Amino acid sequence: MMNEPPPTAVPQYADFDFELDNNAQRLPLVLCLDNSRSMEGRPVQALNEALREWTRELHDDVSLSYSVEVAVITFGDQSVTAYRGAEPLHPGMNLSPFVPAHAFTPPTLAANGVTLMTEAVELAMHIVAARKTELRKLGLQYYRPQICLVTDGLPTDGTGHYTTTWQRIVPVLAEEQRARRFRLYAIGVGGITDRGQAVLRAFAPTYNAQLQGFPFRELLQMMSASAAAEQKGEGEEAFEKIFHQFRTQRPAWEA
Amino acid sequence: MGGAGKGGAWRTHGVSVEGYRHRRTGTPCQDAWDSAQWRTGEGEDPVVVLAVADGAGSRPRSQEGAQLAVRLATEHFGREAAELRVPAGDAVHGLLHSAFQSVCREFLVAVEQTGARAQDFATTLTVVVITPDWLGHLSVGDGLVIVRAGTDADGAGLFHLLPQAEAASEYSNETVFLTSRDVGRWVRTDCVDDPGIDAVVLSTDGLTQAALTRFQTPNASFLAAVLGPMESPAKDPDDDEAELAELLRSDRLSAVNADDKTLLRAVRV
Repeated sequence: MMNEPPPTAVPQYADFDFELDNNAQRLPLVLCLDNSRSMEGRPVQALNEALREWTRELHDDVSLSYSVEVAVITFGDQSVTAYRGAEPLHPGMNLSPFVPAHAFTPPTLAANGVTLMTEAVELAMHIVAARKTELRKLGLQYYRPQICLVTDGLPTDGTGHYTTTWQRIVPVLAEEQRARRFRLYAIGVGGITDRGQAVLRAFAPTYNAQLQGFPFRELLQMMSASAAAEQKGEGEEAFEKIFHQFRTQRPAWEA
Repeated sequence: MGGAGKGGAWRTHGVSVEGYRHRRTGTPCQDAWDSAQWRTGEGEDPVVVLAVADGAGSRPRSQEGAQLAVRLATEHFGREAAELRVPAGDAVHGLLHSAFQSVCREFLVAVEQTGARAQDFATTLTVVVITPDWLGHLSVGDGLVIVRAGTDADGAGLFHLLPQAEAASEYSNETVFLTSRDVGRWVRTDCVDDPGIDAVVLSTDGLTQAALTRFQTPNASFLAAVLGPMESPAKDPDDDEAELAELLRSDRLSAVNADDKTLLRAVRV
């Protein structure tokens, strides 16, 4: 986690022996991804390709690569899974799922099973709060975290049936967002129904979108653009503008 | 003699560079710095004023705000300190607050004349006043001031971070500006009475990660490196400006902070 930043190549100062550990201001970013059965086939392939491409772009950004910390949570199969980079974390493993972007390798996801969306969002909130506590203990400053929820369906229980348990986290999310503890983006993709989209609107009243197709690449680029806006100290209107552009100006081929 | 005044002139030099994030988008640097020396009496050391400012990234004219703030600060803090010649202690806090109010008044008048909203010029401001008797510090926002005084057992200079203004939020990119509501509540002032001070470094928050360790203590290796070229009377600090700017733009420093960066150095010669 504490790799040295890149070397300095400045003639006069290159010889100066000053120490600098990676005390960059951190930006925790959680990708909370639906990999239930409805994502099987081309959608999950597109997601995996987009994750690999986004990772390359993150590595190329000198600053985001040392500032952004990525955690991946999936909800599909029969469970919610947190990944530390490409490796799934098993229950009982006392490891943070956050990996600095410069060291991040995305998991290769498969799609199967049910949509435990409520539990996934709860886990995302939990790991963000825990990471903030860790960062404070480490003496590291941080930006407002980002959580990006992506789904094409409705929340289900472990048997795959629609459940209203998602309603229990609506007031919690409202309070967390009011207190500016993170920015939550909730994106409906593929054939998400109006009912499914209503859940996302309830979760993220400001940053929700219903998109045709599976524009994962643009979605992840929007996450990076928002992270960069954090680094520039932009106001809320800048984040709303970035999101509006993402929601409305996607290339026509995706429609 | 007290304060920062064991005698001698001060050599000052500053540089501001756009941060990595602004460079990627072609946005100009929104930081500014200024310094000035005010004569006091015949044969006496002048009053030195150092100021840095960080224009708010979210505001369209914050670059102008930062430039205006440092210019007004060197003028008002310098004039009041040179004319009033107050002793170290409470009177210094009073002087700093008085000069700050003058800066704010003139700042608001100037921006009002543009017809734009004052918030569009939002900027932080950090000021140091060095007199023969004391060193005064006033800060609004997240600028840093580090002084060097005393030496360790090996003869290396010891660096000390002056207390910073209270953080405005848990997030490192959110701070208080001259134009913020209730700005007076967030102003931090200090009076340092230490004749051993022989170097002062001011920076905007873009250099926090370089100038300080993660435990908020001065990073002596970095500070000694950037003060080095200032120490030799034979060298002109302007000569190393390009290299220093290149260092501030380097990947090594950009990796730990993408913000604009300002470094204002002063050493006693």
